[in-house]
Amino acid sequence: MLEKILVLLCLPSALAQHLCTPGASDGYKVRLSIKTALGDQAYVWNENEMFLFRATLAFAMRTHFNGQMYNVSNIVVCDETPRVSFWFVVTSPLDTSTLVDRKDVEEAVRKSRNRINSAFLLTDKTLEFIGIAPTLAAPVYPDPPPWLIVFGVVMGAVGAGIIILLVTSVLQKKRKKNEKSEGEDDEEDTRVKTVENGTASDGVYNMSFSDDERFTKM
Amino acid sequence: MEKEARPSWDNPLQFVLACVSYAVGLGNVWRFPYLCQMHGGGGFLIPYFIMLILEGIPLFYLELAIGQKMRLGSIGAWTAISPYLGGVGLASVVTSLYLCLYYNVINAWSFWYLFHSFQSVLPWADCPINSNRTGFIEECETATSTQYFFYRQTLDISSSIEENGGIHTGQALCLLLAWGITYMFIVRGVKSTGKVVYFTSTFPYVVLFIYLIRGVTLHGAINGVIYMFTPKMEQLANPTTWINAATQIFFSLGLGFGTLIAFASYNQYNNNFERQAIVVSLINSGTSIFASIVTFAIYGFKATVNYENCLERTRLLLLNTFSLAEDSITVDSLSSWIDRLNTTYPEQFAELTNKLEDCNLERELDTAVEGTGLAFIVYSEAIKNMPLSQLWSVLYFFMLLLLGMGSMLGNVTAIITPLRDFKLVSNMSNELLNGLVCVFCLLLGLGFTTTSGNYWFTMFNDYGANFSLLFIVLIEVISVSYIYGIKRFEKDIEDMLGYRPNWYWKITWAGISPLLLITLFIVYIVNYIQGGTPTYQAWNKELGKSVVTEYPVFAQVFIGLLLVSSVSCVPLTALYVYCRKRKDGRLHRSQRTVSILSTQ
Repeated sequence: MLEKILVLLCLPSALAQHLCTPGASDGYKVRLSIKTALGDQAYVWNENEMFLFRATLAFAMRTHFNGQMYNVSNIVVCDETPRVSFWFVVTSPLDTSTLVDRKDVEEAVRKSRNRINSAFLLTDKTLEFIGIAPTLAAPVYPDPPPWLIVFGVVMGAVGAGIIILLVTSVLQKKRKKNEKSEGEDDEEDTRVKTVENGTASDGVYNMSFSDDERFTKM
Repeated sequence: MEKEARPSWDNPLQFVLACVSYAVGLGNVWRFPYLCQMHGGGGFLIPYFIMLILEGIPLFYLELAIGQKMRLGSIGAWTAISPYLGGVGLASVVTSLYLCLYYNVINAWSFWYLFHSFQSVLPWADCPINSNRTGFIEECETATSTQYFFYRQTLDISSSIEENGGIHTGQALCLLLAWGITYMFIVRGVKSTGKVVYFTSTFPYVVLFIYLIRGVTLHGAINGVIYMFTPKMEQLANPTTWINAATQIFFSLGLGFGTLIAFASYNQYNNNFERQAIVVSLINSGTSIFASIVTFAIYGFKATVNYENCLERTRLLLLNTFSLAEDSITVDSLSSWIDRLNTTYPEQFAELTNKLEDCNLERELDTAVEGTGLAFIVYSEAIKNMPLSQLWSVLYFFMLLLLGMGSMLGNVTAIITPLRDFKLVSNMSNELLNGLVCVFCLLLGLGFTTTSGNYWFTMFNDYGANFSLLFIVLIEVISVSYIYGIKRFEKDIEDMLGYRPNWYWKITWAGISPLLLITLFIVYIVNYIQGGTPTYQAWNKELGKSVVTEYPVFAQVFIGLLLVSSVSCVPLTALYVYCRKRKDGRLHRSQRTVSILSTQ
């Protein structure tokens, strides 16, 4: 009696095992790169880790098909390699001899990809489902873009600088004009003959005392 | 007593720093390392220094002497040397105008990159994600992320010079900022420029020094420096090496634009410019060599990173194909594993051969880039791999800005100083004239911010200045040596400095430099004719790289216009002056006859 029960129990899983073959049309290949991701803190891949994988995948299937009771036994794994890569197929909980369609498996994995990754402390690059493209995080575009802020600051500073320079030179010119009109009444022999380019705008520098040295050293 | 109201530098140091700031520009960073690499590494220094002594320093001295003696901008100075030569000055102004138009666009790009460095992840480090979030944008995948950032996000480049889109707003804003800063620096003429050059000439050295330390401590940098400085003496036998050395000295010192004449015109009459000429030329060359050490260190780092990434990709490929445990193949045992796998699984290995890359460090080191590609693509790629990349990025682009701005100061001064000498304009205030010139150049420069703008930029860069400068400086040195006369020139210098220039200067002015320049001139023309239709590099979106394309007819006509417009100033002005003199001569004769008649 006991043997019969045992055989009956083992039969479904034995039946299901043949459904999983490398290159199966409804299966996916999984590849883990634990050492690349974790380095010294890498854990060893063993039976328990495989159990966790199957349980996580069952969780993903349950989440996607809300209502259908997927179990660890529905996730069938085969062709394990030392690389830590293997194939898996998902059997339907209602009928263990039929496989769940490829597309459904893909959608389920995509939906819960983040949870599956974190269960193994891995990322999209180190836990690869060959054939399932990762959904990349939506790019965050802060509004306004940061470069515009820096630009605004610098532009404002430059604008302020230009305005200050222009205003001070206008004020200087006004001051000089007032001084000149007073000076012209008193002295008549300070005639500055402007040569060549006749700039009168920067008038503080007095040329007459600058030629002290005949040979200016560097 | 006649008092001069011409503004002047506050002290001779300002003049020297202004010349250094002008001469040390982007070419020292992005052209010299390329030439050094292409023409035999350390061996290139030999023709470089020989050309510096034979042509660079004497021509530099010549321009400073003219400016300081005549105390006028380039047009006035040449008119004073001989009325028929005013066209040389005019040609300088036209060439400087072309340069001003496109040079500030480089500063705009530097600003763009600088502002984009203030982000947690540098935008050129990763590719942006495509619309359905399954992968990266295709153009970015085929090219690299740094190329994508430059060609698509910075320039939004079209696929050829004929296609045009609108103005890139970000670029236009940055160009506006660049011109705003330029105006702020030159608004009071030499008074404001003199203060700014203290910073723009010294700070780039600080950054270069910091980068030198950072560069040589990078992983694999020493490979780059050793590889590229190892002299390959056989290159010295190649005449192109000598031609390129001469051309590089010539353009690097910024001769012929009229800037040196303009700067020197603000000097004291007795300023000892001989020593200053030698010092500035040596500083310029020294900076080139310094910058190339930094560049080669960066190259070495980038090549090593690419090489190691290539090895890592190969390792992963082998691991995945043969499903071996992760730690079985290491990067060091890669080659032995390849042999082992080839013998044990030959069919499987044969399938791999087209995916297997050949990782070669020397090949990575041999990729030589110059120009904007080096500054904005190669360097930013290296920077993204450094730790604390935002800091290095900000420092680097700030340095590029200072170098570019320093040169712009000189370029704009070369236009404004001769304009000021004209009676028409001399009544305008400094600020107004400078503002008008800046606004004019800004408006025309907006054309370079359109989607095909980079192609126009390349055209101006390649044809706008080179030929005209060679022509201008050739005329300059021949007219000073033979039309004005070496004896007269000697006396002028003695008047200013107190002693005559020695035989070295006279031989180079009268003999060696003109010969060299004529050779360069002929070589340039021959190359141009032999080169067939001029071509440019157009960015191809699908292939993700630049493709050599011929210029269309309208562009070729424009190139011709660029070349002719500045060069023709010389003969046209001479003709105009000749006609004027004839007319005036006839007028004077008729006036004298009238007065003779009237006194009788």
